[in-house]
Amino acid sequence: MSLTKKPGAKALDVLQNLPRISLANLRPEPGSKKADKRRGRGQHGGNRSGRGHKGERQRGNIPRLGFEGGQTPFYLVVPKYGFNEGHSRRPQYQPLTLKRLQYLIDLGRVDPTQPIDLTQLVNARGVTIQPLKRDYGVQLVDEGSEIFAAKINIEVQRASEGAIAAIERNGGVITTSFYDPISLGILIKPVPFFMRGQPIPRRMLPGEDMVPYYMSAENRGYLADPEEIQQARRALAQKYGYVLPDISKDELCHMLAMRKDVRQIFFGLSPGWVVNMPEKKILKPTDEKLLKYYSS
Amino acid sequence: MAASMLVQRAAALCGTFKGISLSKAVLPVACHHGVMLQTRCYNPKPLKLNLRDPYIPDKENEKTPEWQKTARYDRKLFGRYGSASGIEPASLWPSEKELQEKIEEEKEWNPPLEVMLKNIEAKEKEEAERRRAKERLIAANMSKMPKMIEDWRREKRETKQKLKEEKARKAKLLAEARERFGYNVDPRSPKFLEMVAEIEKEEKKKRKLLKRRLKEEQGAAPPAGQS
Repeated sequence: MSLTKKPGAKALDVLQNLPRISLANLRPEPGSKKADKRRGRGQHGGNRSGRGHKGERQRGNIPRLGFEGGQTPFYLVVPKYGFNEGHSRRPQYQPLTLKRLQYLIDLGRVDPTQPIDLTQLVNARGVTIQPLKRDYGVQLVDEGSEIFAAKINIEVQRASEGAIAAIERNGGVITTSFYDPISLGILIKPVPFFMRGQPIPRRMLPGEDMVPYYMSAENRGYLADPEEIQQARRALAQKYGYVLPDISKDELCHMLAMRKDVRQIFFGLSPGWVVNMPEKKILKPTDEKLLKYYSS
Repeated sequence: MAASMLVQRAAALCGTFKGISLSKAVLPVACHHGVMLQTRCYNPKPLKLNLRDPYIPDKENEKTPEWQKTARYDRKLFGRYGSASGIEPASLWPSEKELQEKIEEEKEWNPPLEVMLKNIEAKEKEEAERRRAKERLIAANMSKMPKMIEDWRREKRETKQKLKEEKARKAKLLAEARERFGYNVDPRSPKFLEMVAEIEKEEKKKRKLLKRRLKEEQGAAPPAGQS
């Protein structure tokens, strides 16, 4: 008998004798189905069964959304026109007023002795930038230009003429520069980016539609010729009637002259470098090809 | 400190209001006190890393999730723990192949500034050319305008004149018919039409005669001139 006994013979036997799975004996897992509520049964008969009184609601015959009973519905009455065409794809610039900038400086949330860029503004909780919601940066608005009294070196993405005049009147420097969405995300949140252990990428150039803005000296664009910017500064001073303070004789001259490279995202950090936060180290590439790519 | 800041601000403000010479005097003072300027240093969030006992996933183990075996995760580990993660720092940068791909992609999608400027210039040129062509067309058409208006007015005048003459002629014919028959004749009646035809014939004859006489006169005149 011990010879005929095989391992798993009993299970095999059971499997052979049990009925096969077919459509006739398939059923849902116990507990996976919930019985429907049966309304209006027993003592609740004769009532409205929780559907309210009369009409479309009680009879479950509610017409579609926006239907006004045969009258031309509102959504068809108002003609549509392309004023807002592409609104979901247009770049947005969060406004930053000179008044608020002065407030941030007065409270010491922004340090005017250092060049101010988007990182400083975001860290000071001065603006909130959401690159995923098509934010391309901040625009400097001239509200409060008459009370603005700080000498700063600021970099924004858009600036109005009045704001440029107010900053230059106080002996400051302003630059408008473009950040592509990826660079912008890195710029506003540097630490999470450094924790990713990736090399700092190159900043991309603006698209063809934005190149004219950043090429023009009137907007103090970062692609404009420095000589032309000097001329534009003088012209603006003449227009607004103030004497342009001489920056070269200033003691903050070095700070005011600081500008980022066209491909640079952070002050003092070149593209291609890896910043390691826990060890407080900067790693630089040595490979020729990498150096060539990141320096171009 | 705050008081000093306020005083500084007020002074700077006065400067801007009173005039540039004063502000010039004030600003350097503010700069001298720049050291005193109180700035709240940025207080970053603590990194919250367990540096003593770092989690380094075992790549050989089956139970390690796939996403922890990627190069991206390796970079992340290096970012978190530094050299303690055991990741080769050279692997943080793209490999030669990836770099090549990156360069090619950039070449395709991000043209250099010169190319963009050239494109913009070409586009502007085309736009200007189109506008100029349209302006030229409008100017050419507008120069034709006074003559066209004159023509249109003349045509209108002529039709009016013609209509008037026709009306007068019809009235004259009707009057003649009335004179001839003694009663008002229907202008569609054969009698009237007959009469009109007759009159026309007569007029034709008269015209012919006139022509002949004119010719004769002309034929007579040259000999007279000769003699």
